[in-house]
Amino acid sequence: MPNKIIKRNGQEVNFDPGKIKNAILKANVRIATERFSEKELEELTGRVVARLEKMKKTPTVEQTQDIVEEILIAADYAKTAKAYILYRAQHQRLREMDDELVKIYSALTFAPAEDVDLKRENANINADTAMGTMLKYGSEGAKSFYDKYVIPHHLARADAEGDIHIHDKDFYTLTETCCQIDLIKLFQNGFSTGHGYLREPKDIRSYAALACIAIQANQNEMHGGQSVPIFDYAMALGVDKTYNKEYFKALTQFLQLMKTMPHGQAEAMVEAARVALHKPVTMKNVDQYGEAFADFLPRHQRENGFEEVTWEEASDAARYAKETAWRETDKATYQAMEALVHNLNTMNSRAGAQVPFSSINYGTDTSEQGRMVIRNLLLATEAGLGDGETPIFPVQIFKVKEGVNYNEGDPNYDLFKLAMRVSAKRLFPNFSFIDAPFNLQYYKAGDYDTEIAYMGCRTRVMGNVHDKSREITCGRGNLSFTSVNLPRIGIQAKGDMKKFYQLLDQRIDLCVEQLLHRFKIQCGKKAYNYPFLMGQGVWIDSEKLDRNDSVAEVLKHGTLSVGFIGLAETLKALTGKHHGESEESYQLGLQIITYMRQRMDRLSQETGLNFTLLATPGEGLSGTFTRIDKKKFGIIPGVTDREYYTNSFHVPVYYPISAFEKIKKEAPFHALTNAGHISYVELDGDICKNIDAFESVIRCMKEQGVGYGSVNHPVDRDPVCGYNGIINEVCPRCGRRAGEGVSLEKLEELRQKYHDVPDYSSLIT
Amino acid sequence: MSNTTKKNAGITGTEEILVGEGRDFERIRRITGYLVGTTDRWNNAKRAEERDRVKHTLSEEG
Repeated sequence: MPNKIIKRNGQEVNFDPGKIKNAILKANVRIATERFSEKELEELTGRVVARLEKMKKTPTVEQTQDIVEEILIAADYAKTAKAYILYRAQHQRLREMDDELVKIYSALTFAPAEDVDLKRENANINADTAMGTMLKYGSEGAKSFYDKYVIPHHLARADAEGDIHIHDKDFYTLTETCCQIDLIKLFQNGFSTGHGYLREPKDIRSYAALACIAIQANQNEMHGGQSVPIFDYAMALGVDKTYNKEYFKALTQFLQLMKTMPHGQAEAMVEAARVALHKPVTMKNVDQYGEAFADFLPRHQRENGFEEVTWEEASDAARYAKETAWRETDKATYQAMEALVHNLNTMNSRAGAQVPFSSINYGTDTSEQGRMVIRNLLLATEAGLGDGETPIFPVQIFKVKEGVNYNEGDPNYDLFKLAMRVSAKRLFPNFSFIDAPFNLQYYKAGDYDTEIAYMGCRTRVMGNVHDKSREITCGRGNLSFTSVNLPRIGIQAKGDMKKFYQLLDQRIDLCVEQLLHRFKIQCGKKAYNYPFLMGQGVWIDSEKLDRNDSVAEVLKHGTLSVGFIGLAETLKALTGKHHGESEESYQLGLQIITYMRQRMDRLSQETGLNFTLLATPGEGLSGTFTRIDKKKFGIIPGVTDREYYTNSFHVPVYYPISAFEKIKKEAPFHALTNAGHISYVELDGDICKNIDAFESVIRCMKEQGVGYGSVNHPVDRDPVCGYNGIINEVCPRCGRRAGEGVSLEKLEELRQKYHDVPDYSSLIT
Repeated sequence: MSNTTKKNAGITGTEEILVGEGRDFERIRRITGYLVGTTDRWNNAKRAEERDRVKHTLSEEG
């Protein structure tokens, strides 16, 4: 008998024949027709050991297993041999999975993010922190598990080989992408985050705070971002409450001082009026309310034999209260918006590794309260964070609509102007266009739920084949999305369009099969899996579900999206020119994307599910596809010669083209990509400061039928002196280069001149 | 912010206190719809894309 055996890790250990016997027994137990007796087992084991003894070197585990297989087959135990081989292969796979995972885990653990692309997949997660790494462990472990045991092999392979890309695969069996939260509905009667019940808010400051909490709570139950489609309308209700409160506070103060009466007495007077006049005071009814108050109070005092108050005195009090309430409410609203922006940049979700990905849409509420919200949010954004930094979140989207804010004379035109001024400085807000025909078709004046909203990077959810009567934004979102590697099809077709469409059809089929596979898993969840999203009625119709009810039916209001990237590279591969360079290529590009959209529409009709076409944002994806294709096909000029594929249908970023021409070319693709889209224009910093120039770009977007767009321009900041603007090599304010220090004396001098120089007074000794 | 700065402040040569040695400028850019305060955390493909961007002119002709 051998003394030693070599384990897989190379370690020599004592040889134990009992282990061989045990392995054979394990393979045999499930085979009823070949059940071994103890004696047979001993004998088979003996034969294996005898073979091992003949070996000159110390045997390895692998060699030993080979011999076991041979002995079983030679002894004519075919079924047990088969079971043994299967068992071995399964363990082999487990070990491989462990190996791969171990490699990934050690990179995550020991290499800095700077050196590992894997750690920079999502630019808003800091994978150098403890919780960021923890999140990556979970994510990589989950992906590995799903690839091997959950996702059908041909689909997992298509994803691994880069034919398609399954987005957010780490959440494959867990939840959906995103949701548009109706804060108005959520706040009515209060809500619970699962860790405590929050009463219906009574002040604009608590409205804004609870908005952040709702976004955070929902983000923790979904894998994408969260959007508030009607931020202005929702916050306006909070403004109303603050205004009402401030009005009565001011009335009391005025009467107390004017009549030099104790506070309690003034309060009692105002309270009597409040009860008698019944309805709350609003910015709209404040004048009538003041008149009613002036009529009521003198009479009330007289009739009850209380201290006399004249009509003039009561009128003065009402006037003072109106002015003060407006001013105090405006101030409170600014503070609320400032806090919201700060909170959304600092609060954490998902085990502390991320700030919630939040988007807020606004711009169309023309009530005075709504306008107050929009104006103060924009002003708070313009002012920036504590040290004047540009806020990264929330993504802000200003909804542009003719007759509401687009033209001079429209009630919110001043706010549209302000939005452009802020965007020229802070990159937000972006602009969405309700008048684009594919958005306008859903719009019903006066119903905020029919105003198009966008989620962060571009997602759009509006049409609804599942329920035509619910083509609305609130409570709905994307379920999951998968993208096609379009440039690869362009390469593989070799200029043959028939082959191109054949391949495209195959890839779309893969995406659809995979989306439906995932959807089936998603439908297996119960309402209790989502204590906030479903438990608090955030998702459409979820308020009708019991905790134990399946979510399958309500999920059908969501969208399943097929995306694409790299139309430019696809056209390069097919014709040698992209759609910015040649009209012919442009027409071909339109044809391809139209075809994809038609397939989605057909699928929607056939299945009753909302299949939509997405202009995929890319994120880490554009690099992934390109890397694989470079390996597979080599470097093809204009196709695989860069590190990325161009974002969706965009004209390539490196191609010189005028802003207007770019918008004109991209706009028709917005109409086709009903799951979401965005167009960017890159402006020079100086042009950007010219508001008329900025406005000409936004107006061009609107006139050409763009759905969602924004202007990119460099925003630099020197954290040492607080300068915000464009910095080339040298900071124009303090004169330092990157990495250089500035004397404290100089900074103190600058602080006299500029309000946003950080305070270093604590360093002065 | 002032915390970091304190750490970076040091006395060099004579009595002059220098603030901000070793600190880079912040460059905020938009990639795929989201703003990022520093490109350090962008993956290689995104960095390459940002590097390649050209500005668009506002002339009427293409």
